[in-house]
Amino acid sequence: MKKLLAIVGTNSDQSTNRQLLQFIQRHFSKQADIEIQEIRDIPLFNKPEDRKLPEIVETIANKIEAADGVIISTPEYDHAVPASLINALNWLSYGIYPFVDKPVMITGASYGTLGSSRAQLHLRQILDAPELKARIMPSSEFLLSYSLQAFDEENHLKDQTQVEKLEGLFEDFLAFVEMVNQLTEVHEFNKREAANFSWE
Amino acid sequence: MKLVGIVGSNADVSYNRKLLQFIKKHYKSLFELELIEIKDVPLFNQSDDQTNSEVIQRIHRKILSADGVIIATPEHNHTIPAGLKSLLEWLSFNIHSLENKPVMIVGASYFDQGSSRAQLHLRQILDAPGVNAIVMPGNEFLLGKVKEAFDEYGNLKDKGTVEFLRECLEKFVRFVNVVAVLEGPKKEPAPPEDLYATGKIDTTVEGVDMNADDWLEQAAEAVGAVEGNTYVKLNRGLLTVDQINYFLASMPMELTYADNNNQFIYYNHTLPAEEMLASRTPGQVGNPLAICHPDAALKNVEWVIQQLRSGETDAVRVHVPTHGPDKYVVHTYQAMHDNDGNYAGINEYVVDLKPHIDWYLQQTGQKLVGAGDTVTSTDNGAEKADAVSGASIKG
Repeated sequence: MKKLLAIVGTNSDQSTNRQLLQFIQRHFSKQADIEIQEIRDIPLFNKPEDRKLPEIVETIANKIEAADGVIISTPEYDHAVPASLINALNWLSYGIYPFVDKPVMITGASYGTLGSSRAQLHLRQILDAPELKARIMPSSEFLLSYSLQAFDEENHLKDQTQVEKLEGLFEDFLAFVEMVNQLTEVHEFNKREAANFSWE
Repeated sequence: MKLVGIVGSNADVSYNRKLLQFIKKHYKSLFELELIEIKDVPLFNQSDDQTNSEVIQRIHRKILSADGVIIATPEHNHTIPAGLKSLLEWLSFNIHSLENKPVMIVGASYFDQGSSRAQLHLRQILDAPGVNAIVMPGNEFLLGKVKEAFDEYGNLKDKGTVEFLRECLEKFVRFVNVVAVLEGPKKEPAPPEDLYATGKIDTTVEGVDMNADDWLEQAAEAVGAVEGNTYVKLNRGLLTVDQINYFLASMPMELTYADNNNQFIYYNHTLPAEEMLASRTPGQVGNPLAICHPDAALKNVEWVIQQLRSGETDAVRVHVPTHGPDKYVVHTYQAMHDNDGNYAGINEYVVDLKPHIDWYLQQTGQKLVGAGDTVTSTDNGAEKADAVSGASIKG
């Protein structure tokens, strides 16, 4: 069974993105072993000169390395990815490169109409930076709008069409993970390029 | 023109800081630039609202009182750094410091592209409804290969770059003025305040050194001031000077009177300076405001007086957090007016609100609910963190 790491893209105590990932974890428990990863205990990134990483960052990096793929669910703050998620990604590409060529699926939930569409576009660009260089699943947007009303008391997604879409995307993601594993030609180069990136 | 420059990096060494320092120094004929550092800004967390922390409030005030803002951003992971994003989230959550503020974006980076992608993201962020800044279009200033860009004195080496930067900044100065027109008629900028009280008003006591420790004794003698059991007729009542003193000493707050010549002429002296919420010493009475404040605070003092004198507002309120969690000390600068409505000076009263709030809660059996408690309050139509419009709370 594939092992996936599902990253909650916010440090907030209440988050419908966390709820969405919990739903994904339960709903697809027969297809994949999904672990939910919080980012709230990661300290603020400040480019330490000694390049020493906080323990929690090392732990998350190891989990990403060990996972077959990563799901990131992002809210949208000010038309963009929240500072806390940027912060996590800053650390996770500072002298370490767990994301290079890692298959990633992006989801997002928001209270309003647009379901974090702008933040997801930014996140794609961010994950494409040389020091992250993830393999983002193409053409696979999952936007959950009006997320406060989206779940029932048992935390199930109420809208059956959304569930079907998610099921399709998830199947595709598992296939995408397989596929990316075959795209190995440029991997060493990407690793090198990530390592060459200068944070000075 | 007064601008602030936000250093978009919290790192100890930053070429974006260097760039802003160069702008401040080299283009000082165009504007006055004050740099803002983001190092002490905590990571934004909507469950732990720190809008009222000193660092956020200080930045908020500085931006509010500036004519425009220059943001210098590095680029990490093809976007702006977490530290800068964090500040923008604080400034658009429960406060909206950048609303309708003209903003110019610059950026320096180690590579050729010079933070081009981060600048594009920053434009989109500044355009989000909770932020609502007015970003100058075009005039992208990207400084690539920064390591070779500055000489040993921190000056940009390339003449063409210096000239191009000047053109961009001159356009920004014009842009700030255009935005002012866009925003509708604004009052003339307030004239500078005479914080050394060199002027004279009807009640100024002449011939006595304002800085003297015994200014009160000398001034009282000079004007033949009454004291003790002499009656004074008031609106509305009749008290002796002693009774007025008892009355003012029993006020549950520290009161300070600064007249409209910016001279500190009274406080209700009941405690030694070290036991006061805002320390005052008997010898300070009579001082011009510039003398009894540290130099670093004078800009803020002036801003407060300008707001009150111009009638922009009748009260400026500031929470001073240095007393620890057991107190909630608020300084209120309340404008005073004579019978014709003319500005007559400031009544500054300093109160610890904590006991009042505790008493109220105890009496009514109510509890405080943090503003970060989002899910329970969304029914009020509030758009909270996950909302499409951004980190701002509305309603």
